Amino acid sequence: MHKTFTAMALAMLASSLVSAPVPAFAADPLVVYSAGPKPLSGALVKAFEKKTGLQVSLFQSSSGKVMARYQAEKANPHADVLISASWGHAITLDKAGELLPYTSPGAAHVPADLKTPTYVAEGAAALAIAYNTKSGLPAPAHWSDLTRPAYKGQVTMPDPAKSGSALTLVEGLVNKDGAQAWSMFKGLHDNGMIVPGANKAALTPVLQGAKGVVFGAVDYIAIGSKMKGEAIDIVYPSEGTVLAPRPIMILKSTRHPAAAKAFVDFVLSKEGQRLVAARYILPARTDVVAKRAGWDALHLIKMDYVAAADHAAATKDHFAKVMRGE
Amino acid sequence: MIFSPQVREEGRNLRPAFFFLSTTVLAVIVGLPVLAIVAFAVFPDLNALSFAAPFSALAPSLRDARLTGAIARSLELSSAVTAVCVVIALPLAYLRVRITPRWGRVWDGCFLVPFLIPPYIGSLAWMQLLQRNGFMQQVSGLNLDGMLYSFWGMVLVMALHLFALIYFAAAKSFALIGRRYGDAAKVFGARALSLFWRIHLPMTVPAVLSSALIVFVLTIEEFGTPAILGNRFGYEVIVTLIHEKFTDWPIDLSGASVLSMILIAIAFVAYQGNRALSKKFESRVENQILTAPGDDRSRRFQVLVNMLFAGVFFLAVALPVATVTIMALMNTVSGGVTWSNLSLAHLVGLFEGGSAAWRAILTSVTLAISAAVLTVLIGLLVAFSTVRMRFRGSAALDFLSILPSSIPGMAVAVGLILTWNLPFWPVTPYNTPVVLLLAYLCLMLPYPIRLLTGALRQLPRSLDDAAYVSGASEFTLVVRVLSPLLGPVALAAGLIVFAISTRELVSSIMLAPPGVETVATYVFNQFNQGSIGSGMAMSLVAIVFSGAIIALGQGLYGGRQGGPG
Repeated sequence: MHKTFTAMALAMLASSLVSAPVPAFAADPLVVYSAGPKPLSGALVKAFEKKTGLQVSLFQSSSGKVMARYQAEKANPHADVLISASWGHAITLDKAGELLPYTSPGAAHVPADLKTPTYVAEGAAALAIAYNTKSGLPAPAHWSDLTRPAYKGQVTMPDPAKSGSALTLVEGLVNKDGAQAWSMFKGLHDNGMIVPGANKAALTPVLQGAKGVVFGAVDYIAIGSKMKGEAIDIVYPSEGTVLAPRPIMILKSTRHPAAAKAFVDFVLSKEGQRLVAARYILPARTDVVAKRAGWDALHLIKMDYVAAADHAAATKDHFAKVMRGE
Repeated sequence: MIFSPQVREEGRNLRPAFFFLSTTVLAVIVGLPVLAIVAFAVFPDLNALSFAAPFSALAPSLRDARLTGAIARSLELSSAVTAVCVVIALPLAYLRVRITPRWGRVWDGCFLVPFLIPPYIGSLAWMQLLQRNGFMQQVSGLNLDGMLYSFWGMVLVMALHLFALIYFAAAKSFALIGRRYGDAAKVFGARALSLFWRIHLPMTVPAVLSSALIVFVLTIEEFGTPAILGNRFGYEVIVTLIHEKFTDWPIDLSGASVLSMILIAIAFVAYQGNRALSKKFESRVENQILTAPGDDRSRRFQVLVNMLFAGVFFLAVALPVATVTIMALMNTVSGGVTWSNLSLAHLVGLFEGGSAAWRAILTSVTLAISAAVLTVLIGLLVAFSTVRMRFRGSAALDFLSILPSSIPGMAVAVGLILTWNLPFWPVTPYNTPVVLLLAYLCLMLPYPIRLLTGALRQLPRSLDDAAYVSGASEFTLVVRVLSPLLGPVALAAGLIVFAISTRELVSSIMLAPPGVETVATYVFNQFNQGSIGSGMAMSLVAIVFSGAIIALGQGLYGGRQGGPG
């Protein structure tokens, strides 16, 4: 009887080998590599295909893996459009001359510091303090509150080495307060703050109640959790926060420049931006209403992203040292 | 051995064919991507098809101050996990032939379940169970935070996931040894303990060593648990360092390749040590009884032994699966374990709005069955080539077969991209599901090859000689004599490959062509969106579904076989 089993397996194998490759060769679609929430990229692609009749092939993962795949494919690039969750990725690719200059009409409604001749924000997250409302902790109001004894052993933070947005927050606070910011990070370390990984690794223990507060949570993820009924709330500290813009860019190696431009145009259209807003992300266009704290409600720390990118390695090192207690 | 081994006869022309076939297959599946990784470590711009600045990535990567510590911790972790696995698995394997075949099959099936739980899901489950405010504390007030987030906590979590590899290999080996030696020793007054130490243990050494080697390299290659659990107390190993180079900006693929080669080097050393040790114990078993021994112990003995099995089952299977189930049923993570927070919403939600989840399961199952069948066939081929038809170069073949298990899945993925994305291939599996199959084959081949080689080493050569004397050709020998005897091991190996393939994550994330999702990438995306419950629901469905397929496969086979299989 095990022969039946083997035969079944072989039949499945054969069918997978025969049927599988066909769709991949069938058309020559626009290839989009996207990081960030999958429902968003899925919705954008679907709406774009419906509107233009063009075909899109979507590779969806986390920022790091999207970039790793793009790099490994250099000998024979496939991606036409990249969407990352880290502004730094765009800065570096731009410096390397790998991006195709394009200014979409929709970019006229995007704030000046969120666009360049080669890349533009699709949307942005703001960094916040997220806390578990069942934890019995006092609601924090300032970044430095989390160094207080009330929060001892309760704080997590995404690792700036793994999360572009957490790095931006460190850069922004250091930009604003200098040495005082570093001593606050030392205070957080002394208060037992853990830095367990990227954004999800910092948020999960707080949802589970093992910890109470995230220092530097990506706001739309926390808001999304709250909307699903999680006992979590967010605070934008009054001294200001930073934006983590999500860049969209066309690669110079693209084989479909026209379709790629059409895709960027669609993402920056009002229709595309409403899809962005539906995920609680801050839309890049100031004339599209956000479903969370919008452009007027956010108190932002002014910062120079390009200069910050130049010092990124040093900032990460310094932070890691502080967290090791050195 | 009665006959001298190398009597040249007519009809033994399979050797060149076997050797050629197995070498070619391994060279394509394993050799090419590994070669690409090595070449990439030397030529950092190889991904752009440039041979500029050779060796420039070596020095900076090796000078990394964190590297030495990471290597030491990797070795420490792998040694500890392997040791704990042996301690858990060996007594169980020894007792396995002494309980009724029916219960034996039940426990065998149960111990496959840990493989169905992806390590990162398993780690999340243990965290949700034991940490502060976890299920354990919510139910009993016990908070094991400190124990969980420690070296031994991590070792235990990993060992409970992997011990079955050694259990299966050792149990098969004990079964093959049979009872005759033990009976003989008993006649001469040997006691149970010295029977174990002096007779059974030495005879099962090759099987234990080769499976322990798999556990060792698997642990050194494992990413999920160190990344999730180890990160919480700052335990950095080589793989997490490699992953960092792959994913932290600026991405350093070449540096990651250099570090991957360190892992390959460690596996090489481990493999050589293993080989030297195995040689000492090879081919000692002759005239064994191949039928299963009956259970001659008292009822009390049976109950006690079954309770021991049940205890391990509770820790390694019941607790994590129950935790995954509860997590899948919880409406909100922060809601905790209360009746009002439990519902089937996530499970139902999986199959709403199109059948993405269902398609992902089918993709994974198809790939996993294909991988299981192909790896076992290749494994048989390689085992015959290296054990029975020794060639110059069979050592190289053997080494080629263990290589991929020491390379992180991420590096295999990059190797495959580098290999198959080159512009000059007329046809390429890249960007089709076939590249996923290639990745699985590459990553999983070590299991069937190790297990089948180990088992074949224990089949006496006198079997071959007897067959030849009776006029059998080499082909007949392989097909009619040796293959059926290897059946149970082949099945076990195939099931392990199936189980691990259904939830392979790291290479799948990198290689899944646009529009294709596997169970693991689906779960990964769910977690990425903050939907822990939904990701757990998918994991649970996948565990149950592939578990059912394994039970079916085992049931079909077991019904035919009768004995412990």
